[in-house]
Amino acid sequence: MGNEVSTHAEAECTFNADEINRLRKRFQKMDMDNSGSLSVDEFMSLPELQQNPLVQRVIDTFDRNRDGGVDFKEFIEGISQFSVKGNRESKLRFAFSIYDIDGDGFITNSELFQVLKMMVGNNLKDLQLQQIVDKTIMYADKDGDGKISFEEFCVVVRNSGVQKFTDFVLVV
Amino acid sequence: MIALDNWLIALASIALSPFLLVVLLIMVLASTGCSLGIREKYVQVLLAIFEWGRIRIEKSETESGRNSVDGDLEREDGGEGDFPLTPNSSSANLLARQMEAHSHYDSAVDGSGRKSIRSGFTLSDAYDYCKWGMEAITEDQVTKSFEAEEINSWNLLTRTNMNYHYISVRLTIVWCLGFLFRYFILMPFRLLITVIGVLWLTTCMAFTGYLPNGPLKRRVNQYVNLMCFRIVSRGFSAIIRFHDPQNKAKEGGICVANHTTPIDVIILSVDNCYNLIGQRHHGFLGFLQRALSRAANHIWFERSETKDRMAVSQRLKDHVTVPHNLPVLVFPEGTCINNTTVMMFKKGCFEVDCPIYPVAIKYDPRFGDAFWNSSEQSMVQYLLMMMTSWAIVCDVWYLPPMRRKEGEDAAMFAARVKNEIANKGGLVELDWDGQLKRQNVKVEWKQIQQKIFSERIKFE
Repeated sequence: MGNEVSTHAEAECTFNADEINRLRKRFQKMDMDNSGSLSVDEFMSLPELQQNPLVQRVIDTFDRNRDGGVDFKEFIEGISQFSVKGNRESKLRFAFSIYDIDGDGFITNSELFQVLKMMVGNNLKDLQLQQIVDKTIMYADKDGDGKISFEEFCVVVRNSGVQKFTDFVLVV
Repeated sequence: MIALDNWLIALASIALSPFLLVVLLIMVLASTGCSLGIREKYVQVLLAIFEWGRIRIEKSETESGRNSVDGDLEREDGGEGDFPLTPNSSSANLLARQMEAHSHYDSAVDGSGRKSIRSGFTLSDAYDYCKWGMEAITEDQVTKSFEAEEINSWNLLTRTNMNYHYISVRLTIVWCLGFLFRYFILMPFRLLITVIGVLWLTTCMAFTGYLPNGPLKRRVNQYVNLMCFRIVSRGFSAIIRFHDPQNKAKEGGICVANHTTPIDVIILSVDNCYNLIGQRHHGFLGFLQRALSRAANHIWFERSETKDRMAVSQRLKDHVTVPHNLPVLVFPEGTCINNTTVMMFKKGCFEVDCPIYPVAIKYDPRFGDAFWNSSEQSMVQYLLMMMTSWAIVCDVWYLPPMRRKEGEDAAMFAARVKNEIANKGGLVELDWDGQLKRQNVKVEWKQIQQKIFSERIKFE
């Protein structure tokens, strides 16, 4: 296990050996059944995540190969996107992938609706929500294809106060 | 043959008598509340040894380069954290992280605060939730509060770090000596003292119980309480520093403290007398409860009653209104926390109309970890660990009494008291419920988040 991790470390991410060790301890602590992969339930054992409406999307973005679980490599890669050493583009990509449910590189109307629905729960009627979604897409969609591409996403986000993306300091 | 027997007996008594003499001395000192200052010297010697140990570890680390060993590796002093490290605990790290997390939480919660109030939805809104989620995944404060606190330098107990005793021969020798000392000299002494202490407690309480109710009984009870608990506290070498004794709890009040271990009761009872409140237990604890109840009015309730909070609350109210009843000791967190944080205070005891005497207890983790992790250790294992630690060193701060203000409800009052205790003890405040050790977060919390978010984007 140790060897695999160090090759991953060099290849993919921005952590040093100490940080990887700590993350590995964290991973093992969360992996209660020792299956080598974190299931949704194991993530949900963290009370702060249970409170987070977007927890399912966050977990899904970790799970790159979509096998229903997050193994250690995916875990490290996911967190490294957020580390202070990661660049701004990786953070933007992460935020984009929260909306882009099927991972095809575009945020469609229905994907945006689904994510917004998670964030508001039952507090807004579907009709109101749909209006907000339509408006957002209209505003962002410059090439008129009805979907938001990554470039269009970056433009919109840049205009709306992008310093948020560099605020996050991950302490490992 | 007879001569041999005599010799053996003589030998045994010669060997044992200093041992017994020391025990007797400790008991006498404990009863009278005096101290020879030996324990303080002991603590200083230990600190010097730990410091030496730390330097040796650092030296060997720099010599062999930063090779990460597989398995548990504690964070070093002067590591590459972004936060300043205090000499002996990771509470400072947690504090700094908590301030960040709280500010993210706030901005995700109400959208105002640091970021400009923006009505309407924008695509970057999901980012707050992601950040928050990521922070929780890498390290969350709740599960951290239910594990033993990490310390920055090794305190020569294997239980805190498995690797360090391979680093240098001298360190290993010191560790070995320490091990032998703790297990074969300290522990038998402590066990003996505790057993004697508990038996003495039972006897004295029974005797006090036979006295007729009145001022004599109360005086005797007070004296007996202090004496017995002092003896028992020597059973795990408790070195306690009390601050601000003028704020000690008085009759007719409720004393409130943060909870780390069942030993908290003993620690506090060394200096002041309390009536206790808690669930009726079986086994050893139940035995102690019955023993204590003979001499004073403690409030024990059945498990089934705890669900009925009104009933318990009522009993508490009744208790404080009876004149001459000792102050009640309550731990509002409801469960043991690892002494780096203070979790949500249950509001039950704050509904009673009487002065609240807050007390902050902070254990020094370098000498022994007092936290009882009830999911990992049984009571017996825990006591064994206590008796083989170096010592239990703690600070107790008595805070000035507080009363509920006009227009403040019980929950707000509880939060205010919690804040005072956390600040005084240098603990991080969390709003999480201690019961999260055992249960999941209620769905309502997530729904609150959703409601707040939808309020924000509704303005279109």
